[in-house]
Amino acid sequence: MNRKIAIAGYRMKAASDLVTTRERLTFELTRGLFDDLGIDRDHVGTTIFATNDFLDGRTISNVFLDPPAGVYMRDESKVEMDGLSALVYACMRILSGQYETALLVAFGLCGSQVSPYLHVEYTLNPTYDRQLGLLNELSAAGLQARSFLNKFGYSEDLLDEIAARNLRNAALNRDQARGIKDASAKDIKDSSYLYEPLRELHTYPATDGGCAVLLASETKAKELTDKPVWILGMGQSIESYYLGERNLYESRSTREASGRAYAMAGIDKPEAEVDFAEVSSLFAQQEPILTEALGLYGPGDAEKAYAGDNGIAGSLPVNPSGGPLGAHPICATGLFRLNEAIKQLRGEAGKNQVKKAEIGVVHGQDGVCAQQNTVVVLGI
Amino acid sequence: MEETRIVNATWDVSTFKYRIEGQGLTRMLSGMRDAKLIGIKCSKCGTVYLPGSFYCRKCHIEIDEAIEVGDHGEVMTYTVGYADVRGNPLEEPRVSPMVKFDGCDAWVMGALEGVKPEDVHVGMRVKVAWAEERTGSLQDMQYFIPE
Ligand SMILES: [Zn+2]
Repeated sequence: MNRKIAIAGYRMKAASDLVTTRERLTFELTRGLFDDLGIDRDHVGTTIFATNDFLDGRTISNVFLDPPAGVYMRDESKVEMDGLSALVYACMRILSGQYETALLVAFGLCGSQVSPYLHVEYTLNPTYDRQLGLLNELSAAGLQARSFLNKFGYSEDLLDEIAARNLRNAALNRDQARGIKDASAKDIKDSSYLYEPLRELHTYPATDGGCAVLLASETKAKELTDKPVWILGMGQSIESYYLGERNLYESRSTREASGRAYAMAGIDKPEAEVDFAEVSSLFAQQEPILTEALGLYGPGDAEKAYAGDNGIAGSLPVNPSGGPLGAHPICATGLFRLNEAIKQLRGEAGKNQVKKAEIGVVHGQDGVCAQQNTVVVLGI
Repeated sequence: MEETRIVNATWDVSTFKYRIEGQGLTRMLSGMRDAKLIGIKCSKCGTVYLPGSFYCRKCHIEIDEAIEVGDHGEVMTYTVGYADVRGNPLEEPRVSPMVKFDGCDAWVMGALEGVKPEDVHVGMRVKVAWAEERTGSLQDMQYFIPE
């Protein structure tokens, strides 16, 4: 990159019901972040929203979200996607040389105000997939889980292990909406099937949540914080919309995206150079699929990894925060991964802190079964 | 004074126009009237799409070679649903596989009948159960049954 870009600060909030309005949440996140950094809205060069019109109940929903974000008489743009896509966009704006800072605001209120599954149903092709009446986000994830388990000969126990570890980690993390203290694989197996092999506790919880993140050029970042976290690399990739045109047991687009991000960051051997990962795995099987696609372990090594290597205390922790099984505020989830990585890199992750945190990789996704993927490499 | 309040709201999006390509779906539907599955093959890379497409995803060229694919195929993955797509509980669990028909590259989703959920497995052979009276609609392909 022709300029260095850092994350100067963030605010995040999640619960099953935040008992708030979209405007108030936007206001509190941005006002809180500005207060943390000792700045005012005048210090923000540009703002990028990541929200979804369907979930917001209005089209072009940024028109009512801009003022509470402090954008009155200033410039703003929006991506109707996961917040990590907004981050890539915001970085480009800073790289253009026109701006020294860029504010990201992302949220989804699917815990209290709108069904999280309905918007996925409406992303389906109206003339075929929707007519079929068989496909929704959960059944698609069930197909993906079965494909993955079958490909590598794993039993459903692996999904229970993954979910138990995440919900245990999430219980230690006050920024999560759901956690289960000391969750065991049996606790997960005791939850009922939604779409076999997926059980209720293998899937993300309906979540209210959002965040605000401030990016800054090198000079500006050093003025704003003693603990800048640097963006070392970014990559994005998208695959076919139709599930039937992908191998559901893998994520080729995540592999492509991570290849681009690692190349930009100068990382040749991710499994050796990356210290931890925060991935947007909305369903238990997605964590190993994505981690493998990020090059952090080989195909078929998931069982081994969940036997030890990737816990908080392991050699390559994956979702030490508890991941999206603890909270999935749609549109903000990729930035939640970013914020959790920032905590790790700054040594501020408390009981979720991993041993070594100098290089972290974060991942965000959009579309059914992670059709589009964004990978960002962070360092201190 | 109450700080916030929930009000009920609706989107009226029940009817809208949506123009579709004749190349893929309508060709597939007209084939279904004759109990045939018609896909489209890429002239460059050979990928066979079902439902067909007017372009190849990989080569990014226009394609139009209609090709009949088998109505027998292999279960590539499946899920057993306990609720319909809107979350309403089903009386009986429903098996929905994705099937790769012989001679086709894409997997097609459908319902599988005539087999207990516990007896379904990836790799099992199935075929289309065609409707007796076919009208050239998706309903012509009623469901899949074991081969
Ligand atoms: Zn082609």
